[in-house]
Amino acid sequence: MIRNYLKVALKILGRRKFFTFISLFGISVTLLVLLLATALLDHVFAAQSPEIHANRMLGIYRLTMKGPENTQNSQPGYAFLDRFVRPMTKLPSVERIALVTEAQDVVSFLNGRKIQSLMRRADGELWRVLSFDFVEGGPFTVADNENGRMVAVISETTRELFFGGRPAVGKTIEVDGQRFRVAGVVRDVPILRYSSSADVWVPITTAKSSAYKQEWLGHFTALILARSHADLPQIKAEFQFILRGAEKQLPDPKTFKFLVAGADTLFEGAARMFLPGESVVNPGGRLRAVLLALMIGFMLLPTINLVNINLSRILDRASEIGVRRAFGASSRTLVGQFLVENLVLTLIGAAIGLVLTAFVLHAFNASGLIEHASLQLNFRIFLYGLTIAVFFGIFSGVYPAWRMSKLHPVRALRGRSI
Amino acid sequence: MINLQQVSKLYRTDRVETTALDNINLEIGKGEFVSVMGPSGCGKSTLLNLIGLLDEPSRGKVALDGKAIDRYGDSALAQVRNERLGFVFQQFHLVSDLSVVDNVEIPLLYRKMSNKERRKAALAALDRVGLSSRTHHFPTQLSGGQQQRVAIARAIVGKPGILLADEPTGNLDSQMGDEIMSILEDLNANEKTTIVMVTHDPRMADKTHRVIRLFDGRQVQ
Amino acid sequence: MTRHLFKLVWNRKRSNALMILEICVSFLVVFGVATLGLFFLDNYRQPLGFEWKDVWSVRVDIGKSGANLGGGEPEQAAIFARLLKEIRSFGAVEAAAGSAVIPFDQGGMTGSWTIDGKNVQMDFAEVTPGFAEAMGLKMVAGRWFQEADSALSWEPIVIDRDLAHEVYGSGDAVGKPFGKPGAEERQRRVIGVVSDFRKAGELMPNGNFMFVLKGMEGPEARPLRNLLVRVRPGTPAEFEETLVKRMQAVAPEWSFEVRPLSQVRATSYHFFLTPLIVAGTVSFFLLLMVGLGLIGVLWQNLLQRTREIGLRRAAGASRTAVHRLVLLEQLVVTSLGVLLGTLLVVQIPVLDLIGVLSNRVFASGLLLAMVTMYLISLLCTLYPSTLASRIQPAEALRYE
Repeated sequence: MIRNYLKVALKILGRRKFFTFISLFGISVTLLVLLLATALLDHVFAAQSPEIHANRMLGIYRLTMKGPENTQNSQPGYAFLDRFVRPMTKLPSVERIALVTEAQDVVSFLNGRKIQSLMRRADGELWRVLSFDFVEGGPFTVADNENGRMVAVISETTRELFFGGRPAVGKTIEVDGQRFRVAGVVRDVPILRYSSSADVWVPITTAKSSAYKQEWLGHFTALILARSHADLPQIKAEFQFILRGAEKQLPDPKTFKFLVAGADTLFEGAARMFLPGESVVNPGGRLRAVLLALMIGFMLLPTINLVNINLSRILDRASEIGVRRAFGASSRTLVGQFLVENLVLTLIGAAIGLVLTAFVLHAFNASGLIEHASLQLNFRIFLYGLTIAVFFGIFSGVYPAWRMSKLHPVRALRGRSI
Repeated sequence: MINLQQVSKLYRTDRVETTALDNINLEIGKGEFVSVMGPSGCGKSTLLNLIGLLDEPSRGKVALDGKAIDRYGDSALAQVRNERLGFVFQQFHLVSDLSVVDNVEIPLLYRKMSNKERRKAALAALDRVGLSSRTHHFPTQLSGGQQQRVAIARAIVGKPGILLADEPTGNLDSQMGDEIMSILEDLNANEKTTIVMVTHDPRMADKTHRVIRLFDGRQVQ
Repeated sequence: MTRHLFKLVWNRKRSNALMILEICVSFLVVFGVATLGLFFLDNYRQPLGFEWKDVWSVRVDIGKSGANLGGGEPEQAAIFARLLKEIRSFGAVEAAAGSAVIPFDQGGMTGSWTIDGKNVQMDFAEVTPGFAEAMGLKMVAGRWFQEADSALSWEPIVIDRDLAHEVYGSGDAVGKPFGKPGAEERQRRVIGVVSDFRKAGELMPNGNFMFVLKGMEGPEARPLRNLLVRVRPGTPAEFEETLVKRMQAVAPEWSFEVRPLSQVRATSYHFFLTPLIVAGTVSFFLLLMVGLGLIGVLWQNLLQRTREIGLRRAAGASRTAVHRLVLLEQLVVTSLGVLLGTLLVVQIPVLDLIGVLSNRVFASGLLLAMVTMYLISLLCTLYPSTLASRIQPAEALRYE
C-alpha cells in the first residue's frame, strides 16, 4: 500500500515539473534558514569540547540584587560565589566546582605589534570541570592559583601570534602589562562558547587588584559539575535554599533585600540573560517557547505559500480525482495519497535544504565571520531538520487535503463548469 | 452577408496532416436561418469557427458583410466578433462565478458604454429569452434549458446581426430543445437575425431555411 | 469594467483568500525590513554632533565591577586625574577627557526627570571638562564646563538642542534651573547648549542628551570608566603602545584597553546592520519563493479558466483585453492584500507601539512595501497573463 502510494507520488511529482520545482524551492529555502539557525544554536549550546559534560553541568551565570528601589543585575562576584557556592562541593551530588571570569579584551605589544586577546582568570578546578584538548604542556593547578603564581594557559592561535607556532611551554608572554610563564597550550575554542572561549587563561589571584574579593556582583561564573544528569534538579533546589540563606547576609541590607539567581544549564542561563524580567521559574522553557514562536512566525509565509500551491495542484487534478472516486476510491484513500505525496515532496525538499545548509555552513566557517567557529551538521541537527520537515509537510497538507475530500465526484469529473 | 470562397482548413500535428475542411464555397444571405449537418468529425464545428472568426482558414477567403477578413489583426477581429457575431454553445459555457445578468453583460464589457446602459441591455436581452425573474441567480442554480437561454441572451445582447449556434440543443431534452429552437426561430423572424446552427438533429434542421451537409470536410449538397 | 473585476474577485473569494493572505503577510515582511532600513538611513542623514576621527577611546578597568561603585573614592580619582595629565603631556595628544560613556559603544545611562510637570526622557553621562574639546562638540549657546565649576554650590549641566527645546521651548535655556533637586542633590542649572550629541552613533535616532560635570577633586570625586583621547592627525598606531605603557606606569593596578573610535564605530555598524542584512537576505528568498508560488498558482487558475477566456475572446475580447483582465484582476487581489496589511501596520502608530519611528520613516516604509508588492505581483502575473492571452478560442471552446 505505502509502496504504491510512494510510486504514484513520485510519478505525479515528475509530471508537473514546474509545480514540483516551486514547491521544492520553497521547502528547501525554508529548511535552509531553519537549519542554519539550528546549527548556530547547536554550536552555542550543545555539549562539545571542552564542555563535553554539558549535560551534567550547571552554572551560576547571573545574579540579581533587589531592594525596595534599586535592582542590580550582573554576573556574580567572587565574594558571593566563594562564600556560598564553593561550599556546595561538599554535596555528594557535586563532583567539583570551578570559578572563572568572563572573557575580557586585553592587549599585548610584541615588537611594536599589537595583539588583542580574550583573557579569563580561573581557579585550578576549571581544567577538571571542562576538558580542554592540550596540544602542549598542561593546566595550571589549584596550588598555582592559591599561591598567585604567574602562569598561563594559551590557545593555539595565541601561540601562533606570540611564538610563531613554535613550542611555548616554559616561555614567557606579556599580557596586559603582566608577565606569565606558559604552562600549556590548548586547541582553539569557538568564540561563541559562553563559558569556555578565551585565548589566555591565568589564575584568579594574579589579578592586578584584589578588590574582586569583596564583590557580590562582578565578572565571575561558577561552573558546577554534577555526578550525573539526574542530580541536576536536586542541585538547583539546593542552590535556591542557599540563596535564601545568603539574603540574610547581604552587605548593604538597606538597599538590597533579595537575591534572584539560578543554577542553570547554559541554555537556561542564556534565557535568564536575554529575556526581560528575572523569572526564577523555568527560564529555559520560556526561551524555548520564544524560539518556537519565532520558528512558527518564520514558517507562516512558506506554509501559506505551500498550501496555496498544493490547492492548485489538487484542482489541477480535479478530473483525475473524479475518475478515481467514480471507480470507487474512497475520499480517505485519496486524502492519504495526497498527504503521502506532500510528505514525499517535503522530505525531498528537506534533503535539498540539508545539502544547501552544508554548503552555506562550509562557506560561513571559511569566511571567519565568527572567530574559530566551526558550525557543523550533525545527527542532532539532522533530526531537528527531519522533525521540522515532517511538521511542515503535514501542516501544509491538511487544509488542501480537507478541500480535496470535499470535492464532489460528479462536479470533479466535469471540472468546474468554466 | 457571409461568404466563403474555396475555403480549406488543415490541421498539422507532428507527422499527420488532417483535412478538416476541403474547398468549401458558401454564401449565406442576410436574415437566413441555415443549419449545418453531418456526422461527427466532418468539420461542422471547424466551419462554424471559421465563420465566427475564431479560426483562420488554411486556404481560401472568408468575407463578412462583403469585407474579406484575412488581413485583420487580432483587435480588429475581436471588434468584429464583438459587434457582428453572437455565439451559443452546446455546453453553454457560462462563467460559474458570475451571476446570470453578469454573464449576459460580458460582450458589452468590450464596448464603450456606461454600467447603467450595460445593465439595461442585459436585462432586456434576458427578458427577450423569458428569464427576467432569474437575473441574480448563478448558473449552477438553473436547469440546462435555462442556462442555454442565458447563453442566447448573452449572444444577442450586443445586437450582433449574426448568431452562430454550435449544437445549441445537443445537451437538452427534446422539450427544452424545442423551447430553445422556438427562441431562435423567433429571433430570426422578428429581429431578422441571421443564424447559422450546427446540429445533429434532423428534426431541428427541418425547421431552418436551408441545410448544408458536410461529409469528411466536403460539402455534399 | 471595474465593477466586473471586483465581482470576479469577490465571487472567487475562496480561491483568492489564500493569495490575499499570502500577499498580506509578504507585505508585512517587506514593511518590516524596509522600515528598519529606512530608519537607519534617515538617522544616518542627521548631523552627529561630534568628531570621531582621530579620537581614541580607552576603557579603564580599575579592578572593581561597575555594579559596586558607590560614593566618592578620592584616592582613585587622584590617580585618574594624574592619568589625564600624563596623557596630555604627549606631543601627539591634542586633548583628553574622562567620560562615563564611549560614543558608538553600547551601554550608558538613561533616565527620566519630571521638569516643570513634564516627564522628560534623556541619556546622560558624567564627563570631565576636557570632553568638549576631545569630542569636538559645537556650542550653540552658553559655555562648556570649566575645572572650577565643580566647586559651585549648584550643579552645572550642559544639554543638547533637542533637550533644550523640549524643556524650555523656543526660550533661552542658559542660566535656567533644570528641574527640582532630589534629596541630597544640588540644584541643576543649565550653563550651555551643544548642537547634538548622538552617543549611539549615526544609525540611532537623535535623542535628548545631558552632560554632567565630574570633577576629580573633593569628597564626591571618583574615577570615570573611560578616557577619550584626541590625537594629532597622522599619529601612528604604534603610539598606542607608548600610551598604554605610560598609563600602566601611572596606575599599575588598572587595566587599559585602547580602541580608536573608528573601530568602535565599525563594530556598532556591524551590530546594527547585521540583523538588517540577515533579515533582508532571508526576506529576499521568502519573496522569491512567494513570487514563484504566485506564478504557479496564477497559471493554474488561468488553466482552469481556459474556457472562460475562450468565451470572452469569442464575445469580442482582444488578446490585449484578456491580458489586461488578468493583470487588473491580480491588481485587485494585490490591493486587497496590501490593504489588509496596511490596516494591520497602521495599528503601530495608532497604538503607539514604537515610539522611535518618525512619521516620515513610517510612511516611506509603507509606501516602499506597497510598491514592492505591486511590482512583485505585476512581475508574477506577466507570464501567466501572456499565456492566457495566447489561448486559442476555437480550441478552448471545443467539445470534450
